[in-house]
Amino acid sequence: MAEIILKNVTKEYENGFQAVKNINLEIKDNEFVILVGPSGCGKSTTLRMIAGLEDISDGDLYLDGKRINDVSPQDRDIAMVFQNYALYPHMTVYQNIAYSLKIKKVPKDEIDKRVKDVAASLGLENLLDRRPGQLSGGQKQRVAMGRAIIRHPKAFLMDEPLSNLDAKLRGQMRVEIADLYRRLNTTFIYVTHDQTEAMTLGTKIVVMKDGEIMQIDNPTNLFNYPNNKFVAGFIGTPTMNFFEGEIEEKGDGLILKTRDGFIPLTAEKAAKVREGGWVGKKVTAGIRPEHVELSDQDSAAFRGEVSVFELLGSNAIIYTQCQDDRIIMNTDQTQYQEHGKEIFLKVKEAKLHLFDPETERTITN
Amino acid sequence: MNTRYSDNRALPVRILSILGKVLILGTASIFTAFPFIWMMVSALKTKADILNTEIFFPTVPQWSNITSIIFDSPIPRYIFNSAWVSAVIVALQIVSGAMLAYALVFLKFRTNKMLFAIVMATYMLPVAATYIPSYIILADWKMLDSFRGLIISSTVSIFGIFLLRQGFMQIPKGLVEAARMDGASHWRALWEVVCPMTKASFITFGLMNFISTYNNYMWPSLITKSSEYFLVSQGLRAFFIRDGAYGTEWALVMAASAVVVIPLLVLFAFTQKWFINGIGGETGIKG
Ligand SMILES: Nc1ncnc2c1ncn2[C@@H]1O[C@H](COP(=O)(O)OP(=O)(O)OP(=O)(O)O)[C@@H](O)[C@H]1O
Ligand SMILES: [Mg+2]
Repeated sequence: MAEIILKNVTKEYENGFQAVKNINLEIKDNEFVILVGPSGCGKSTTLRMIAGLEDISDGDLYLDGKRINDVSPQDRDIAMVFQNYALYPHMTVYQNIAYSLKIKKVPKDEIDKRVKDVAASLGLENLLDRRPGQLSGGQKQRVAMGRAIIRHPKAFLMDEPLSNLDAKLRGQMRVEIADLYRRLNTTFIYVTHDQTEAMTLGTKIVVMKDGEIMQIDNPTNLFNYPNNKFVAGFIGTPTMNFFEGEIEEKGDGLILKTRDGFIPLTAEKAAKVREGGWVGKKVTAGIRPEHVELSDQDSAAFRGEVSVFELLGSNAIIYTQCQDDRIIMNTDQTQYQEHGKEIFLKVKEAKLHLFDPETERTITN
Repeated sequence: MNTRYSDNRALPVRILSILGKVLILGTASIFTAFPFIWMMVSALKTKADILNTEIFFPTVPQWSNITSIIFDSPIPRYIFNSAWVSAVIVALQIVSGAMLAYALVFLKFRTNKMLFAIVMATYMLPVAATYIPSYIILADWKMLDSFRGLIISSTVSIFGIFLLRQGFMQIPKGLVEAARMDGASHWRALWEVVCPMTKASFITFGLMNFISTYNNYMWPSLITKSSEYFLVSQGLRAFFIRDGAYGTEWALVMAASAVVVIPLLVLFAFTQKWFINGIGGETGIKG
């Protein structure tokens, strides 16, 4: 039960480096918010400021309407799961999970009951007497979660909690975290640089870059309506294809002239382009690999040679080397193309994104 | 400490290397241990035996030397003084040292590095240089010639701060942060998370400072005059020169010295395992 608001929050480290620059973020009660972005973009710093482990250099942090910049972490009633779990090595699993309740002077028998409940819900019943050194990575992960959920805190913070697990276990834990979220009805703030985790878990995703927020939105909107080229390229695998083109008039409509051909713009996109005064100018265009298709020479936007055909199971990725660009196409496995073969590609016009080549802001999605 | 790398040198080389080590360590041990053994055997000799260089072991062990020291001399009283004064001092040093080391390692504040530099700089200062100012302060506070003065003037140990700091630096910061998130104050995090993980450093610190305070001679003899406040070293000296009998009762002096050492030996026997760990820099944390 918590609403967290960051207002113009900035973090400047002692060496003068600004890791977080003037960010604004509103996290409503019960939201599952994901902070995502490339390494070094300030995700952990933001999370640690919310936790109280880093001082806030400038701006305000509110928890349930109360400014908590100067409240120490022990009094914030926020739980955190660390990337390397940070279990107390000299305590048993039981003591690790019970520690926060012991501090709060909860009666012994209640502690015992709650530890057992939590252990049961995480499948840790048989490990309670072990020390962290005697656990596997996945088990440590569960203990770390247990230690956080036993307190019924106002919010959960998790900093890349799954990054030390192997792919299979990660998938499994991801489902468990989603499940936990549904059961606990609490605010979650989750840091990751894995966009699959971000897209599958979050109800609200915050994309960061170089200490700034690039976009805040739900997974679908982030994927379909990116605010700028960075978000468009960051979200989605394989990543979006980017290429240069020029807007030209053709008949009543507009086209995007590419090196090898053209892409007609839909009426809706054309209106946006005209509105922005882009006719006759160069723009950066983007198209997702799943919206690229094979075509005949006349309607093609690209011409190139197949450089790699990657079979990934039911779908396949085709990398095509064109004159200036490399276009990635995500298609199904039946579309086998031989290496070196010349092919023509077109795109689904409705799915084309256009960006300002200077500011990289979206012109139309 | 069971990491032993497989040794694939030729056998004769290996034997030579082992022999060399045994020889060097053996010689060093003999030189270190010999005075101690000598003191122990001398404690059981008669006055005549002691001055006779022909014999090393007592002809007839004089257990009465020991009993007379224990039951019929002020030595036990000095041992008692030394023991409890040292215990109080070490306890205070541990608390103050742990708090400062915790701040140096786990807290972020602007003057952190400078504070550590200042602390270390005072370590470089010769102890004797602080005698006069310390004496004057104690005199002002009317604490000369009292246990209080002895204790108050030694509540901080720079060596201990340094030792604990080194130990604390081995602990991942995340553990203290996790404790803070769990609702622990700095005080609790220090004693419930950091301390149990650096037990070896604490025990080494405690033991070494206990021994040096217990045996301390110079400073206590400067500030205490009455024999009721004597620690063992001063006590031994007083015993040695009492009644103007300079160096006539060698056997009793040796017996007194032996009795004085015994509490330390017992203490060491119990804490040896940790002591060696702490000096070797291993924190005793596994996994
Ligand atoms: N104590 C510090 N002093 C100075 N700069 C720091 C400090 N901690 C982090 N930084 C810098 O701040 C930036 C943001 O760091 P942060 O740990 O928040 O990144 P992140 O987004 O969590 O990255 P990752 O995905 O790699 O964990 C980085 O460029 C980092 O080098
Ligand atoms: Mg990080």
